[in-house]
Parts: sequence; C-alpha cells; structure tokens
Amino acid sequence: MDEGVSDGKTIKSVENAIAIMEVIAQTDEIGVTALSDRVDLSKGTVHHYLTTLSNHDFVEQSAGRYRLGLRSLTYGGIAREREWVYRVGKDGIDRLATYTEQTARLAVERGGYAVTVYQSTADSEPVGDTHLGSREPLYASATGKVLLSAMDGDERTRVLDRADRAASTPPDRAQLTDELADIRRRGIAFDDEDNNDGIRCVATGLATEADQLLGAIAVSARAESIDDDTFYETLPQEIRNVAGVIEINTTYRGWMD
Amino acid sequence: MDPTTELDIGIVGLGTHGQHRARLLDNAGQRVFGADASRDARNQFDRQFDALQVTDPAGLFEMELDGIIIATPNKFHAPAAIEAMERGHDVFIEKPLAHTLEAARTIQRVAASTGQLCLVGYQSRFLNVCKILKQYIDEGFFGEIRHVETSYRRRRGVPGRGSWYTAKEIAGGGALIDIGIHVFDLLLYFLEETDVSEMMATTRCDFGSRESYAYLDMWGEDDDANMFDVEDSVSAFLSFSGGTTAAVEVAWATNAESAHQYHIHGTEAGALLDITDVLNASTDVHQSLTFYEARTGGAHHYLDSTVTTRPNDPYVAQMETFLEAVATGNEPSINTLEQALAIQRLVHRIYADNDELIE
Repeated sequence: MDEGVSDGKTIKSVENAIAIMEVIAQTDEIGVTALSDRVDLSKGTVHHYLTTLSNHDFVEQSAGRYRLGLRSLTYGGIAREREWVYRVGKDGIDRLATYTEQTARLAVERGGYAVTVYQSTADSEPVGDTHLGSREPLYASATGKVLLSAMDGDERTRVLDRADRAASTPPDRAQLTDELADIRRRGIAFDDEDNNDGIRCVATGLATEADQLLGAIAVSARAESIDDDTFYETLPQEIRNVAGVIEINTTYRGWMD
Repeated sequence: MDPTTELDIGIVGLGTHGQHRARLLDNAGQRVFGADASRDARNQFDRQFDALQVTDPAGLFEMELDGIIIATPNKFHAPAAIEAMERGHDVFIEKPLAHTLEAARTIQRVAASTGQLCLVGYQSRFLNVCKILKQYIDEGFFGEIRHVETSYRRRRGVPGRGSWYTAKEIAGGGALIDIGIHVFDLLLYFLEETDVSEMMATTRCDFGSRESYAYLDMWGEDDDANMFDVEDSVSAFLSFSGGTTAAVEVAWATNAESAHQYHIHGTEAGALLDITDVLNASTDVHQSLTFYEARTGGAHHYLDSTVTTRPNDPYVAQMETFLEAVATGNEPSINTLEQALAIQRLVHRIYADNDELIE
C-alpha cells in the first residue's frame, strides 16, 4: 500500500479510508473479507484501517462486522449548523411536513450533488430513500433538477459533463434541457414516479433577493397517498408558502438574532 | 411643538409604508434616515429620498435620532422595535403592533422597562369625522348605544397576493390583522371599551388564493398567490361588558360593494360614519357622517343631519402627534400601546377560536 503522496495532489491513504467508509455506509455493515474485496486492498491492510478508524469512533465493530460510528455525525452536525439556510429553513420544513402529512426536506447543492441537510416526516416512516446527509446526482431528482435549473449554462455543463463520466446511464441531455426550462418557467419541479417507482415529489428553489440560489425544498409522497389535484395544486401551493416565508426570513435574518 | 423644529427620524422598513411615512416627514421638513435588510426596498427608497442609507438597522440605532418608525413586515416589528428601544430610541410602530400576541406583549414589556415612548399606528382616530362622532357620543347625543353595525370590506382588495401580507408566519394573519383591526380600534374608541365579554367569529379563505382572481386595482404587487395561507374574510359578533353589541364584517375580497362603515344604533339617535377607501388610493378615504333621529314636534318626523367638516389626512395628523411626542417626551392619549394590545388580544382570540375549530 502506498502511504505517501500518490500524484502530488491527494494522499492515497486518505482516499483508501474514505473508500472504506463509503462501502461500510452503502452496506450498512460488513465483514473484513467482503470489505477487502470491495476496496481492493489486502485483508491485513483493511484491518489496520479499521482499527485506526475504530480508535477514533469513525467505525464500530460488533461480532466481527463493521458499521459507521457516530464520529461522522460530530462533523456532519458541525457542517450542517454552518449552513444558515438550514437554520433559517428548518422550521419551515417541519411545518411543510405537518401540513402536507408527507416527507419534506431541504437540500443544498455541493459538488454536483443535492445534499439533504434536513428532513422531516409527518409519518413515522419517511417516504423515499433520502435521509439526512443523503446525496443524489442533480439530474436524478426533482430537488436536484431545481438546483440544476438555477445554475448558469457553463456551470450546468460542467456538472453534467462530470455526471456523464460517473454515471453508468448518463441522462439524455436534450430532454433534460427542456425539462429544466419548464422548471425555470413554472418555478416548480414535478417528479411523477420518474426516479422512484411509487413516489411522487414536488420541489422548488430558495433564492435571495439577488437571485442567488440557497437550496431547494421538496415534498415526497407515496403515489397512492395523493391524487392529481394534491400533486399538481395543493403541494405546489404549500411548498410556495413555505419557500416564500423562508426567503423573507432569509432577507431579514440579521434582525432576528 | 414649534413647527420649525427639525427632527431626525429613522425609518426601519422601507417598503410601501416606510416610503409613505418618509414622504410625510419629508413634506413636514424633517430629516429622514432609512434602513432595510431588503436591497429592493433600499433601492426604491434611495431613488425617492436624499437620505442616508444603512443596510442594517443596528447602524441606524447607533445614530443620534429623535425617533424611529418601524414599518417592516409584521414579524419583524418586535425585534426591530425592541432593539431600538433598548438603544434608547422612542418608536412608532406601524399597525398591527406585532404578528402575534406574544410578540406584542414582549414589546410592551420592553417599552415599560426602558421607559421609551412606543406609539402604534392606527390612523382612523385622527380623521375629523371620527373625532366629531366621538364628541357626539361622549355628549350623549345618541342616548345609550345598543349596537354598532360595522363593515370594512373590499370587493377585490387582497394586498399583494403572494407577498408577505398573505403569509401567516410573516403577517400573523390575513384580512383581520390587516384591516379588521381598524374596525376594532374604532369600536373600542367609540365605546370606550377595552375588552369583549363574548364573541363569535368565523374566518374564511374563498378568493385570495384563486388563480382566476379577477380585480380592477391590486393593492400592492400581485405575485400570483405565491404565498397564500391566510383568511380573506371574517364575520364576528361581539358583546361588550357594558351590554353593547357589535357586528363586524371584514373582507379583503367579497362579492359586494366595497365599504368601510359604522352604523351607530343609539336609543335617542343613530349615525352612519362612512370612511370607505377611495379606489386607486391606498391612503385616501371617503369622509362622511350622518345623524338619524325621529321626533314628534309638530307632526312625527325623521330628522337626518349631515355633518360637514374639512376632510383631513389622518396620517399627517398622526405624524404630527408622533413628532410632538418625541420632541416633548410626553405620551399622547391616542395610538397607545394599551390600545394596540387590546386590539391584538381580540385578533388573537379570533384566530385561536378558528384554529381550534379547524383542528
């Protein structure tokens, strides 16, 4: 294993540690043998990584299987607190979940992904597979498309070019361009089971007075739980109400401290 | 107050109301300074007034000023007013006092602890026709007032659909907290009451959020009902501790002629006060007052009297009262915190009752 600087820019061992964390996150919990296959490192090396990560509570071991530890939450919590759109928007997301009796979330764009910084659900069981901190490519959800639609052309091209290289089935660029134009015109993105069977999602963007994009808010519902009227009329209205309030609170946020 | 005294007045919140106040003060020869967190509002203000600009109200509060007018969206009345008073400024808050009763009470506590003047901008009491009516009521001209029938309704007059005016969390409510409060203010003034013993009220939302909202003149900017989660009409029946009752109709939108009227039903005489909004002018109102009697002298007859007086701009009179108050340090008997809190309690009660019904 190369412990040094691999290409003059990044450190291989940190990349390895991140790859190990990523596999553990995806599998929920995993043994050393399976893990070593997935990250293409020897069992012994993987074991050293796991011991190091475990010493710092980044992973936990139980009966020979490893899962993520709560140390990630320590940093996650700090990173989220720093996002003031979270602080300004959190109450609105809770309200949105209560009013709509569905799952509501707030996401921001980072590095070409939509990252969920807050999620609230009226039911005990959230709708869909998003959760706090979950990341999805921008082209792969109504929430992401809202964020994508607000980017300028060059930035959007860069994000989509990168997505093309990473995805097994890249999005149809022409179709996506039409869709983003619709979203910009309507101010609302609809996902009618396009990305997830059985789930309908409505999203809109949050922007400052100077049209700087802050993030996106969305409501996800199990398709059988809402009719077309709710999907196309009620949910967009509820989302607009909350988005408008968050935007006003953002403008005046300095006054509320 | 010496009319030549030039005062320095800060305005926090430079939207429609802040600009209106600034214009009145500018016309009266006062120096005006503005602050708003909203860039759009600052730019608009900047184009109209040759005044010092500051983004953050804190910058304004640091200045040596004679008084501060709070004209922000309702939710920000409390934080702005509290900081201003804690920094030693007298304040004038646009109506309503606050977006919630709780925030209104916090303002009251801070006013009491800091000893600063805190006026609340209910302008109707400054109308000459209202002052004249009050004088006749106090003289006993109407005998015992048994009932007051009131309505403040607009055929289509939702202010800026989709703006903060129609967002519950920012405005605190809809038609009731925007225009219904004027009816409560005048009722409490005319009847010299501070509380209602019994009340039944219903709030509705029938027009404002419609995509097909048809109108001739929009009050404020129409934003296609982007945000709309408030009531656009209210009907209430009130019973005061003295036994007088009142019927209150309030609507931002209804399928009827626009009106802002008070029918006073007394045992000796009655009155109709008409201060209906003038279309196209958000601050101008009709000003008419008529008295109704029935007498027996000679032959039975009805006697109707029309009061003719000079129409006045209540906002000008109100600003003069504010300027005199900050110049002298004397609290006026009109636009007081106590009066504003009495109104806020009624508003709170109606919303609380109706929320309970919905749940």
